[in-house]
Amino acid sequence: MIEVRGVRKWIQNGARRVEILKGIDISIPSGQFVAIVGASGSGKSTLLGLLAGLDTPSEGEIFLDGTPIHNLDEAQLSAVRGKKLGFVFQSYQLIPTLTALENVLLPFELNLPGNGIERARKLLAQVGLAEREDHYPVQLSGGEQQRVALARAFIIEPPIVMADEPTGNLDSVNGEKVLELLLSRNGQAGTTLVLVTHDPQVAALAHRKIVLRDGMVVEDVLAAETVVAGRMQ
Amino acid sequence: MANRSLTWARAASIAGRDLRSAPGKFIFVVLSVAVGVAALVGVRGFSESFRSTLTREARSLMAGDLAGRTNQLPSSAERQKVDALKSQGIRSTWVTETISMASVPPDPVPILVSLKGVDPNEYPYYGKAELDPDMPLASALTDNSVVVADEFLIRLKAKVGDTLRLGGHSFRIAARLVQEPDRITAGAGIGPRVLISRRALDSTGLISAGSRANERLLLELPATMQTASQLAAVRKQIEAILPEAQVMDFREGNPALTEGLDRATAILSLICLVAMVLGAIGVAMSMHAHLEQRMDVLAILKAIGAGSGDLLRIFLLQTMGLGLAGAIIGVAAGAGVMLALPAVFGNLLPVHARLDFPWRSSLAGLATGLLTTLLFCLPPLLDVRKVRPILVLRKMVEEAEERGFVAFLRRWGQRKLQIVAAIVILVALTAIAAALSDSAQVGVWFGVCLAAILLVLLLLSAGFLRLLRWLLKLVRLRLPQFLRQGLANLYRPGNQSSAVLAALGTGVMLILAVYLMQSQVLREIQETASPKLPNIFLIDITTDEVPGIMQFFHNQPGIQNQLELMPNVNGRFVSLNGVPLDNLKVEHFPKRMLESAAFSWSDVAPAGDKIRQGKWWTDANAREIAIGEGTAQRIHVGVGSAVEIEVDGKSMPLKVAAIFRADEQHLFGRSNFLLPSGLLKDAPAVWYGGARVDSKQVASIERSLFSAFPTVTVINIADVLDRIEGVVNQITFVVRFLAGFSIFAGLMILASSIASTRFRRTREAVVLKTLGATRGRIIRIFSVEFSVLGLLAGSVGAVFANLLTRILLRKLEAQWHFEWRATLIALIGTAILAAATGWLASYRILGLRPLEVLRDE
Repeated sequence: MIEVRGVRKWIQNGARRVEILKGIDISIPSGQFVAIVGASGSGKSTLLGLLAGLDTPSEGEIFLDGTPIHNLDEAQLSAVRGKKLGFVFQSYQLIPTLTALENVLLPFELNLPGNGIERARKLLAQVGLAEREDHYPVQLSGGEQQRVALARAFIIEPPIVMADEPTGNLDSVNGEKVLELLLSRNGQAGTTLVLVTHDPQVAALAHRKIVLRDGMVVEDVLAAETVVAGRMQ
Repeated sequence: MANRSLTWARAASIAGRDLRSAPGKFIFVVLSVAVGVAALVGVRGFSESFRSTLTREARSLMAGDLAGRTNQLPSSAERQKVDALKSQGIRSTWVTETISMASVPPDPVPILVSLKGVDPNEYPYYGKAELDPDMPLASALTDNSVVVADEFLIRLKAKVGDTLRLGGHSFRIAARLVQEPDRITAGAGIGPRVLISRRALDSTGLISAGSRANERLLLELPATMQTASQLAAVRKQIEAILPEAQVMDFREGNPALTEGLDRATAILSLICLVAMVLGAIGVAMSMHAHLEQRMDVLAILKAIGAGSGDLLRIFLLQTMGLGLAGAIIGVAAGAGVMLALPAVFGNLLPVHARLDFPWRSSLAGLATGLLTTLLFCLPPLLDVRKVRPILVLRKMVEEAEERGFVAFLRRWGQRKLQIVAAIVILVALTAIAAALSDSAQVGVWFGVCLAAILLVLLLLSAGFLRLLRWLLKLVRLRLPQFLRQGLANLYRPGNQSSAVLAALGTGVMLILAVYLMQSQVLREIQETASPKLPNIFLIDITTDEVPGIMQFFHNQPGIQNQLELMPNVNGRFVSLNGVPLDNLKVEHFPKRMLESAAFSWSDVAPAGDKIRQGKWWTDANAREIAIGEGTAQRIHVGVGSAVEIEVDGKSMPLKVAAIFRADEQHLFGRSNFLLPSGLLKDAPAVWYGGARVDSKQVASIERSLFSAFPTVTVINIADVLDRIEGVVNQITFVVRFLAGFSIFAGLMILASSIASTRFRRTREAVVLKTLGATRGRIIRIFSVEFSVLGLLAGSVGAVFANLLTRILLRKLEAQWHFEWRATLIALIGTAILAAATGWLASYRILGLRPLEVLRDE
């Protein structure tokens, strides 16, 4: 469950205050697939960043599964991210010095006890990259890198996955593969999925669509379950 | 299609706009360049100033730049030729040294004095004749007044103001001569010194044709004629004008000082060159990092139609602008330090505060800053051509590297321009080194050594990294995550680890080499001005007086080092290598030396003599001789040569057993010919003595000695030796100070080199944070990366520093010892410095909120 109450975010640009988010109130129940859409500069990536605890709001409150994250210090935020969240970036953001397997393993090693190698291998196999576990990111194509990034986001089995334009840098074939993986995670494991996208087709797959304009929610609609199911097929 | 390109003005405006867009990012680049240039300007300026101070001291020990000594009165033709040197701006004066009898009425008993006639308006050209009471020499030396040494006053129980009778004339004693600047190089003479004006001396009638007097010509060269080659040219002129004269330049005046000067100069040159290389490393690293960050801008510009030439123009202007700004700040800081420090530290620094701006070193710093900026930007600028506009749209996928020898050759073939650029950089650095050291030879040596060292360092670094990678592959998944990732960061594909390692290694090598050189050379310099060296000499001791004199010194308070005695037997050479003396080609001074030679004996190599060739005899009756190096060269003999000498009417055929070099500081340094004791013991000998006494007690020792042994003359050089020791201490201080300064600057530059890689790590830190890593975890990862980098660089640098020091010390004929403590400190210190710098440079990154960085993507 994600609760957002009266969140505002601004940045100070010299004497000028630039408001990015102008008061957001939303609530996302567990297991829901939410697409946040909007034009460039509407504040969708900033909102996603705040939901993921990558930054703190200038005003307002955010709760992840009841935990307030708007006033946590850096170490506490890291801990929350490490246990509750998987994050997928548009530009993959793999660590270039680590192999595919090590990249997938990284969140496990950072946050959980024990040995996660087998789990990492299994995930790599699930995303179709079992043969490429020893490859470095630069040796993988964009689609492959994004699939490694997905496996990395899933390894701690987070209740929430957030994705910022995950298919934005990919061709349609690779884009579809990545979406399939995200949706099956949402469908099978009941993971909450919050996804920022420009693509109306991707947004149409979501249970719920939140449209932002100039830092405000201008539309928040639930899709009919049958429509979603039909499109999935 | 029409040929179009960006104008320089337009390129400059785009470059300027790019700079203004994020000035904060460029401050670091400018500061890195500034630190390098400031080190160069400061070190060079200091050493220039100090070298001139030191050279001045060496000159004052001779009272001139050059001196020619002859025992004949110069002919009027010779005088005219010497006077004609004035047209070249060369000043000259004649100093006459002779002995005479002098007395102080009413006591009619005269003593033998060592008379020195000078033109007080000219003499001395360097240094100062110190008088008590203090007054200018020209006021003290008039037509009817003289100054005398303390010993004269002691012996004749006289005082300042008394009258002195000399050659039938009366002179007032105007002052006591406290210090005579050229006492060491002037003739020893017999008896206490009486300094008189040349006109007054002439009036006594003591000097006439055929008189036994030494004439010493002192020359002062104009400031524009002070290079070694100009000095040598004038020396040749003097030797031609005065063929009978023994000519020497100020460098030969006092070996301890000259050796100190030579070695200090060598060290200071090394420090200057090191400052230059470190500065260049600083410039190179920061410029490389800067251009790497601008790659996305380059891609954007290409995407909107800019050609490679346009980009080169824009970024060339930008980097030159940054280089110029850094160089100007560096010059200002370096010059500021140079001008301000002597004023702040006052007497602590022996370099006088200078009011003039150090133009020469500032221009050198400015040129070096700009040139190294340009040179080191060449390779990354040339890479601009390879930037593909597609970068704007998506990150490039690296093509798998082909393996095999052909692929290797092809890869190098594609780097032709880079190789040419590397050669250009090396040639230019060689030229800078040649300009900084005023020697093409030094420049070439420096260039070749630098190239060799860099190549080996690069290969070693690459080898180390490969080995580490192989080891890591074996165990990587068993290692803790922070250790694995820290080590993996060292060989991230396409990263600069071996370049950083080579730069850091070179820096450590140079810094440690400077430290090792200065500590070992300074130890040797200090030995040449050891407090054990004699500072009073005794002349004319008879063999009968020897036991009594030894007893006297044994009981005397204030003796710091016991009396050293050297016998002196007069004789002559009969033949050299079977050629009778009359048939030898040598003439002038060497010939006279052979005709009237002074021999001494010693059955072991005396203290202060270093055997250069051959071996000392073990049999006290061996028919052998050891000859001083300079003399052997002049009379053309070497080890194994046959010589025949005649002493006390007996002729002796001898074989040259050893060639030695004397340090001129010990008593035996004054003898050029040494024989086994058995050959000379029974010949009539006069003894010379030398002892180290407390300089404050010299006068009382002289008084007691005079009353016990009235015929023994004492020559007191305690004041001069104190002065030399002072200069050696100054050399030690300044060399340590400058070495410390360059080491500090080097550390700053190395730190900034490491810090310049921080932009690369920003994204990694942010991603790690997003995945749940804490600050502590990120610090641990970076610490592993940097401390391993530091340890590797420290090891490579320490090995090469010791090798380099060994080679350089051998060139300076100084001893090398392995200094394990300094080496260990360098090793661990580099690791700590690297880790601390990496940590400090990453500190800001750690504080960044992930979204701040991700929003910029």
